Order: sequence, then C-alpha cells, then structure tokens
Amino acid sequence: MKMRTIHFSLLAIIPAMLLFSCSKKDATTTSTTTDSTTTTDTTTTTATSDCSSAANTTAKVVCLAEAFEATLSSSQLSSLVTSYSSTYAIRWSNLPCGSSCRNGLQYSSLSSTQLAAAKAVVVAASGTAANEGYDEITQIIAADDVLNTASGSSSYGSGIYFIAFVGTPSTTGTWQLQFGGHHLAVNITFSGGAVTGATPRFEGIEPKSWTSSGTTYAPLAQEQAAMVAMLASLSTSELASALLTTKFSDVLLGPNEDGQFPTTKSGIAVSSLTSAQQALVLAAMKPWVNDADSATAASLLSTYSSELSSTYIAYSGNATLATNADYVRIDGPSVWIEFVCQTGVVYPSQIHYHSVYRDHKRDYGNSFTF
Amino acid sequence: MRYYFLLLICCVGALGAKAHPMPNSIILLDIKSNGVVAEVQLPLSELELALGHKVEPGPALRAYLLAHIHPQSLEGYPWTVQVKDLHIQSAAQTATGPYNEVTATLWMEPVKGTSVRNFSLHYDAIIAEVSSHKALVSVRQDWERGKYGEQSSEVGVIKLDVRSGTIEPLVVSREQGSLWRGFSSMVALGMQHIAAGTDHLLFLLVLLLPAPLLVRQQRWDGYGGTRYSLIRLLQIVTAFTIGHSITLLAGAAGWLRLPSQPVEVLIAVSILVSAVHALRPLFPGREAWVAAGFGLVHGLAFAGTLANLQLDATRMGLSILGFNVGIELMQLIVILFVMPWLIWLSRIPAYKYVRVTGAVLAGITATMWITARI
Repeated sequence: MKMRTIHFSLLAIIPAMLLFSCSKKDATTTSTTTDSTTTTDTTTTTATSDCSSAANTTAKVVCLAEAFEATLSSSQLSSLVTSYSSTYAIRWSNLPCGSSCRNGLQYSSLSSTQLAAAKAVVVAASGTAANEGYDEITQIIAADDVLNTASGSSSYGSGIYFIAFVGTPSTTGTWQLQFGGHHLAVNITFSGGAVTGATPRFEGIEPKSWTSSGTTYAPLAQEQAAMVAMLASLSTSELASALLTTKFSDVLLGPNEDGQFPTTKSGIAVSSLTSAQQALVLAAMKPWVNDADSATAASLLSTYSSELSSTYIAYSGNATLATNADYVRIDGPSVWIEFVCQTGVVYPSQIHYHSVYRDHKRDYGNSFTF
Repeated sequence: MRYYFLLLICCVGALGAKAHPMPNSIILLDIKSNGVVAEVQLPLSELELALGHKVEPGPALRAYLLAHIHPQSLEGYPWTVQVKDLHIQSAAQTATGPYNEVTATLWMEPVKGTSVRNFSLHYDAIIAEVSSHKALVSVRQDWERGKYGEQSSEVGVIKLDVRSGTIEPLVVSREQGSLWRGFSSMVALGMQHIAAGTDHLLFLLVLLLPAPLLVRQQRWDGYGGTRYSLIRLLQIVTAFTIGHSITLLAGAAGWLRLPSQPVEVLIAVSILVSAVHALRPLFPGREAWVAAGFGLVHGLAFAGTLANLQLDATRMGLSILGFNVGIELMQLIVILFVMPWLIWLSRIPAYKYVRVTGAVLAGITATMWITARI
C-alpha cells in the first residue's frame, strides 16, 4: 500500500486524477510551524534564594516551586500546573510511557536553569538518607540511561522524567507535587502548610545493580534486604501462615488501582510475632517511609509503629526475594507496601524490582474517595 | 503481526504503555450468527508462572483452558466451549526481547435459540493463579453491527477485584444488529477499497485513456466521435466488472484460492500492459476482452479481503454482493468524473501528449510495483 501511495502523485498529470491528487497536495503544503517555545529570559526573575529561611518542608517546597515557576514561559507554566482534581492527581505510571500517561513538563524540554530549579523542588520534598529519598530518585533516573544504552531504545532515558503541580503550590491550600517517569512515581500532597500525603509512591529498578565510573549503584538493595530480613526471622510455621495462595508477577496496587485495598488482610498478623520480629517489620517499612522528608517520615513511622498490632505481612514465591514472582507485602491499617521480583525486560537473565508504597488513609492526602 | 499491533494498541489505550512487555492476556471475540469465536492470547511467561511448569500445546492445556473459560447466558445457562486450535507463537518485540504467547481459538455456543449477543464471560485463566494478571477483552468482528474485523473495540478487563478477592465475570452486551447493517457496511468497504486501492483505478484509467481514439496503421489516431467513445468506454468498464465479479465470487466463497503475492504482481503487470497499449495499440478493438481478463485478476485481490471473514453462507453472500456493489458504485463515480474529460480532451491534437505522458508515468509506476512485489 505504501508504494501505491507514493506513486499516486506521479499521476497528477492525468486530468482525471486531479481530484484525487488535490487531497494529497494539501497535505504537503502544510507549512512548518515556527517553534513557539522560546528560551525564557531568566534575567527578569529575581535571583532565586535557596528558600533556606522557610519555616518547614511545605514552606520551602512552595518557595522553591514558585521560584521554578518564575523561570518558565507562560505556555510551560500552563503545562506544569493543572487544576486540583482526582483526574490529574491519579495520572501517574511506572511504565516508560512518557507524557502519554503523565502530567507536567518533561526534563529534557527544560533549560539548565529551569532544570536546576525543578530539581530543587524535588530535593526539598524528599528525604536525605543515603540510597533513600532524593539520592534514590537520582539513581533510579540514572538507571534509565543505563537501559537506554543497553537496549538502544529511546523510550528510556534520564530526560523522560516529568514534574507537575496538581493544584497551585501554596502554604494554605491543597496541592500535589508529582514527579516521575519509568520506574518512579512520586506523589506528595500538601495541605494547609503541611505534608498530608507521601503516597502513592512507585519505585522500581532495572538493572537492580550496576557499576559506573567505579561506583556501584543499587538503590533498592536496602528495600530488598529489609524485606528479606523480615521474612528470614519467621519460623517455618510462621512462613506457612504468611504464604499467599496465589502468585504475583507485579504489584497489585500500581497505577490506576487507587483505593483498591483488600477488605480482608492476608498473611500472618504481626501481633503474633515477637517484639524482635515486629521491629524487623517496622525496619522493613523504613526504606520506603524514609523517602519522605524527615519530619513526615518520623510522623508516619510513629503511626505505622502504633498500628503494628493490626498489621499483616504476607509473601508469595520464595522468602529470599531473589527470583521471578517472589513477592512480599506489608498491609496495615495505614501502611501498604508491595515489593516484587520480575524477570528483567532489558536484562532478561536478571530479575528487576517493582514496589509500591501506599497508605490506606493518606494516599493523595485523603483528598479523594475511590 | 496484526495481533501484536492490536495488542500494543490495546495496551497503549488501557495502560498507557509502549515498548514494554505486555503481560496481559488478550481475548478477541468474533460474534457469529450462532455462536462466538474467541481468540485467546496468553503470554507464555505468565501461563508458565500460573501452572508452575513448562507449557506445551496439548490435551493438558486444552483441559486447563476449558476449566477456566465459562461463558453463560444472562439467565445462567452455560454455553458449550470447544478448543478449535492451540499453538505457541513467538514474536520479537522491540526493546523487550523475545515474547512468546499461546494462542487458542475457541468456539463458544449458547443453548439453541438464546442470544449470542448478550452473555457473561466467566474467565479466570492465569488470573486464578497469578493475582496481578489481567485479560483485556475486545470484540473484533460483529458483522451484523458493521464490524468486519478491521479494528477491535474494547469491551472490558477481567482481573482480580483486589478489594473483595474475587474475579468477576465480564458481561458482553452487543446492541442488536441486522443483515442490512452488515450489508451496507460491506458496500462502504467496497467503495473504500477502490478509493484507496490506487492500482485498480490506475489500470482502469490507463485502459480508458486511448478508448475514444481510432486506430490507423497500428497507431492511435484522431477522435472517434462521442458515440464511438461512449460505447467503447462502457464496453471496457462493463467487461472489467464482469471479470472481477466472477473471481470475487469464486474467491470469497472459497472455491478459488491464490496466494496474494502473484495476484499483486499480475495486477501491476496488467497496468504495464495497458500503459503500453495506450502508447501503441497492442490489442485494438479487443480492449473489452483484455479488461475482462485482467478483471479476473483484480477480482482475486478483492476476494482476499472477504475470504478471511469466515461467515456463514447468508452473510458471506450478502458480503460479496455488498462489497461488489460498493466497488461498482465507486467505479461509477470515477467513470462519471473521467468520461467528460476524456471525451473533451481527446478531440484536441494536444491529447496525444496527455495520453503519452499518462501512459509513460503509469508504465513507470507499474514497473516499480512489479519490482517491489516480486
């Protein structure tokens, strides 16, 4: 059919064919549209302070968000900020689906000044521990460049990450910071000057470990190790109680599965475990909870600790979390963490990790019902 | 190939993904008059995870599928299900490495006299064992609703309801269709086929190019008059129609099957022959016979479109009729547009240049097609 179409134009000379060729010609006369994206003149914005005088995390994030907005053109700004609604709030993904499944501005479209300002917003909203929070984010993004090189596919790369504000950043109203791309979805909700939701948060990694310039990166190794330690503390009979009857090739509550927590919790009740085992359950939550800023993380961890007696842990496959479809879950009155091993996509001889961290009561700052 | 494209489309729509492994199952439904054909595509990796061992197409897999696929009427009467075909196929996907899947073709039939258009699909293959698995269900063909399989429309997703821990059946509910609706969509398909199929049009136009002219000393000469031209044009078009109608009927009904490649090459040859004829008369006065002969070839290409629909006799008959009516209608529109131009232009001496240029360009195009299609 392609050949037919190409040669169609050759026949334009036959008068009888004029009618048909006209429609073809119209298509080719479309002029090249001028590039409407102009470089933003940053001199018009006041030199952004580092917002270090801000009273708390929210104030600092809002200050930096406004500084970032000031570097943008009006068309960029309208892409960055959406109205505050569940439609935009839940629009995130872990897949390499670029802007087709995400809101906001793509990193690769930003100037270096704009990019630095965007990153400052994410840094301020993130935890600071090694391999957690922002450090983990930078490594997950770096892994996408590794995938790009290994696969040759342009659907991977550190430029294909997106920042969006669902609602207008403010220290009084409600808004959500979205940041993410392949294997990463950060959703932090602010309301009335406080962080009201650090979830849903998706973290995945492929390859799960790699070396670059002599440094080895394994941003989700702490997550895997903490879960393995938790399961390793269980006795044979406890493991049997914790074993789920079905298998998992991915997390259950990924994108677009909001509010779908099981009515009945599965696995073994943490209340039946020793205090040492319970401490390991809490420790297994930390690599996810500590991705939030330290004040938020401390508050959430305190909540999850107080709810341990009503929390369940469950797994499927092997408790060593080392082969395809090895899966573990922590499900409490608030906390929900799933971690799963999958056969690699670009590196099929290795496994790679997917995980989702949700909160029954605090996803999206509890702004929406699902 | 088509199914992978379809699979990609489905997944882009449903999950917003591209160039990523799609571990979902795909169920494509063809709504027939007395039952439903279901083509079930199961990712091998997920199926092997579900069963816990290597999978081979065979009795065990058939039994597994039959145990997990239960369509039933909305009143609760179970349908019968048969596995008609079962095989493993592999296809390399970009950036995702090899991707294998099991394709099963099932025939699902309701109790006689109950609707094939409304049923609930109780389905939990793979999903029963792998909680994260999903099956995307689409209707691919529904002839009576004018849907002949060009693109499928999504009906829904069968997956674990995590809240309740159950796998709910999917209710498939198709609006009432009609024979007329199926027929008229075939007319539209026939028209579209001619409008988009440049080679059929080109053959006809090039054959018509010298039709108004007289032959003198084995060369095209002056205008033969309006009556002469009209008769010759009508003879050629009618002959072409008779030719392609015969093979369209034979091909679509399954009495005659030729691989599409030689047919495509022959079509390009037919254009080349008529282009040469437009330069120098090869078969003056016998254009109608040539048109009929090559019409037989073009009809085989038309038939290919219909033969894969696998319809019952009534619907296939209506399809052939509708498709042919569509072809004739579109042809008629083109002829009505071309005829005045031909008759008017062929009166003037400069028509020679129009004819020669048209013939040369058509000849070049045909030659390139022949090369490309061999």
